[in-house]
Amino acid sequence: MSSAKNVTVIAEQLQGDLQNISFELLGAARTLAEKLEVGVNAFLIGNNITNMAEKLIHGGADEVFVVDEPELEEYATLPYRRAALTILEHLDEAPPIILMGATTIGRDIAPRIAAYLKTGLTADCTELDIGDYHHKGKADPTKTGEYKDVLYAIRPSFGESLKARILGPWKNPQMATARVGVMEKLPVDPTRKGKITSVKTAFKPEDFRVKVIETIRDLSTSINLTEAKVIISGGFGMGGPEGFELLEDLASIFKDSVVGASRRAVDAGWISYPHQVGQTGKTVRPNLYIAVGISGAIQHRVGMSNAKTIIAVNKDPDAPIFRFADYGIVGDVGEVVPVLKQAFLEKFKQQKTASGV
Amino acid sequence: MLNPFDRYALQKAIELKRNNNAKITCVTMGPPPAVEVLIDAFDYGADYGVLLTDKRLAASDTLATSYALHMVARHLGEFDIIFTGLQTTDGDTAQVGPQIAERLGIPQITYCEELEVVNKKIKARRVVEGGCQIMEAGMPALITVANSATPLGHKKFADVAEVKEFLRHPDERQKRIKTVNLDDINADPKRIGLVGSPTVVGKTWKIGEIGGSCVMFQGESLQREVEELMEHLEQDEREIGEIINVQR
Repeated sequence: MSSAKNVTVIAEQLQGDLQNISFELLGAARTLAEKLEVGVNAFLIGNNITNMAEKLIHGGADEVFVVDEPELEEYATLPYRRAALTILEHLDEAPPIILMGATTIGRDIAPRIAAYLKTGLTADCTELDIGDYHHKGKADPTKTGEYKDVLYAIRPSFGESLKARILGPWKNPQMATARVGVMEKLPVDPTRKGKITSVKTAFKPEDFRVKVIETIRDLSTSINLTEAKVIISGGFGMGGPEGFELLEDLASIFKDSVVGASRRAVDAGWISYPHQVGQTGKTVRPNLYIAVGISGAIQHRVGMSNAKTIIAVNKDPDAPIFRFADYGIVGDVGEVVPVLKQAFLEKFKQQKTASGV
Repeated sequence: MLNPFDRYALQKAIELKRNNNAKITCVTMGPPPAVEVLIDAFDYGADYGVLLTDKRLAASDTLATSYALHMVARHLGEFDIIFTGLQTTDGDTAQVGPQIAERLGIPQITYCEELEVVNKKIKARRVVEGGCQIMEAGMPALITVANSATPLGHKKFADVAEVKEFLRHPDERQKRIKTVNLDDINADPKRIGLVGSPTVVGKTWKIGEIGGSCVMFQGESLQREVEELMEHLEQDEREIGEIINVQR
């Protein structure tokens, strides 16, 4: 069977490191592929990255198509677009499904690929599934029909705080981007075997109309919201950037902790975008999420409601956050945060005494 | 209503206009009352507005929307930069901008925080995972502006007064605001609306309340409230396992 029929994942790597999202996508693709009774393909694009193909196989891919060219050292829209399109043209037919990450890279390139292929793309999915679909439409009678084994791309839609199932059964590939930290990876299996196919790309001069002058990226110290065990997040109720110093101070007492923020706080310029949790930021699932001065709009909630324990601090007792937090304290954030810090320090002291350290 | 994310796009356009003696044309797609969005943009400093309105556009998905908007851009002729917001607040797909760029065959810079135009070249900074990139591009190009590109300016009294004034004169108003339909821009009706959209919304669900039972600590001294919270957390840790990591 032609491997073009496989569910396809466009993997993401940064500076030669495969990103978590690549493995999350492979996990999701595997589930879809089993339902469709096909395999999983991965596209791997970059410079000096062929040696990573095997890792994708260990993570769930059956065949990896690699474009490894010096022009692809740093991510740039048009050269990466060209590489992905080249692999697609190399296949004898369009894959049924293409998945990408809803990252700054995936959200940059996926829409262009979809527009080029004139196919549907559902952004920021939180669930993916396969099922049947019956379409009946007066405006488009030619589309009416029964469709088997269609991609269910499920995403939150905030106009009305809904979850919506988006379908595009009329044309392959059916494309979707998945939110980071939502899909489940498979356990790494170093015994898995697969095929690695190298694809040559012929770039065109117009692929280099945008030059990347410099990339300033510090992955080691960059804040890692998706992996943090404790997140102290601030919202508009922090009142200003100095409010976030208070949160940094509280976060500093925990291991694996990081400061997060709501969109309104980022919009206000009090803290940078990489800290943003929610619909337009990161999806997080820490053990403990302390939401300080965050009203709890649906857009924020979808990014953090998977936290094990949520403590909310807000001066407004009617704030929506209290409808889904586990614990709530009504009060002035400037007063509550230092008391919380003292209480946690006290708890740590007791734990140490108890364990005899 | 002007999409909040588009305010950042408009802001960047206005900054460029000031420094480069440029003109801004705002394009929106929607029912006739959407002209208010253009007037709002005039108040902030835009020069011209185009409203694409046509019943056949209803139920367009992002691909169909990008088709319609790129036909407006073609209809308007030459341009240097197309700015779009990062995304809308409801659909939140962030797709229409890059899809317009693809259809026009022009490069794009998404998640842009800062930009300037020097000697007909765009110099921009964009957000990427864990940092930022400095980019250089020729024109024309499409830029999607990140919401971290602060701060936003306010409407200027003089601008608002000027807009009020020209709106009173029908011929002046016509010069500044154009209303077009699909036929005016030579758009193929088969590529818009339900017919031209490769995706449809199937089933929808309400997102329900999560957890549902928030334990509130109030009405006592803050000290006592926090103590009670700690007791609850300890109880939880015994039941559901580790919540809080040991101190650094």
